[in-house]
Amino acid sequence: MTLSWSDLKIGDNLPPYTAGPLTRTHFVRYAGASGDFNPLHHDETFARAIGLDNVIAHGMLIMGIAGEAVSTWIDVKHLKKLSARFLSMTAPVDWDDPENTTKRATIVITAKIVKIYEEERVKMIKADIVAKDLQGSRKLDGYFLAAFP
Amino acid sequence: MDTSKVGFEFPAYTLVVDKTKIAEFAAAVSLKDNLSAINPIYYDENAAHKAGYRTIPAPPTFMTSFFFWTGDGLAEIVNALGMDISKVLHSEEEYEYLGQIYAGDSITRKMKVVEIYERGKKERAGMFVTVAVLETVVTNQRGETVGKVRSLMMER
Repeated sequence: MTLSWSDLKIGDNLPPYTAGPLTRTHFVRYAGASGDFNPLHHDETFARAIGLDNVIAHGMLIMGIAGEAVSTWIDVKHLKKLSARFLSMTAPVDWDDPENTTKRATIVITAKIVKIYEEERVKMIKADIVAKDLQGSRKLDGYFLAAFP
Repeated sequence: MDTSKVGFEFPAYTLVVDKTKIAEFAAAVSLKDNLSAINPIYYDENAAHKAGYRTIPAPPTFMTSFFFWTGDGLAEIVNALGMDISKVLHSEEEYEYLGQIYAGDSITRKMKVVEIYERGKKERAGMFVTVAVLETVVTNQRGETVGKVRSLMMER
């Protein structure tokens, strides 16, 4: 589904996008794709050595998931800006304890239209984005700007 | 962190955007295990044409890979700024899209340290951080600026 300009109103919530639960395999795949092999994201012994209980997701993986969410709402060739602040760490699901770890590893991206305007005769929207896990912990906030030709 | 590095410019690095790398990245951010499950614009030229692209486009956050797959990647940034890798966090990232990046493009990234500042109070342990603001201009083989990246790296 892509949005059309005429249907949009300030305050509209875009359809939530859910991803996960994130696994260690997802982290390894993202490490290979992006080239970010910080061991913090795949080597539990390294994570423990710096005081964490688990490996954690790349912040940029969460932003990448947000980018995927945006591409379900608009055609990405109309994306003008994507901006994110990283707010908290994301641990993966533990396959030996999925009941207690699935929620922390499942990411929901939501967005709300905050501005509708024209810039140099181009119709634009600004939408605020939030990523949270299913426990309500905020992972990322930010916004995107998109043009409607 | 070495606060005298404001204004420091990293060498320009160039790489060719591999079609397979785009598909791999698209699979990674959509949490898919194989090509047939991802958005076809990221692996199929015909699907990309139909969607209005010249050829296979790069996904929205693909520019991040230019930092890791050129030069010495993150280590080069950390070393240039005199940061302790075990205390570094990536705290913000912003992409401005000025053109489309496509498979086959020869992309050059030019990164500069534009600002370094301290935040918080030194006497409060864990609350004091040094922040480096990095700005990168991304151009293609025709010299067109296709994107700008603003990254904040924080040292605890």
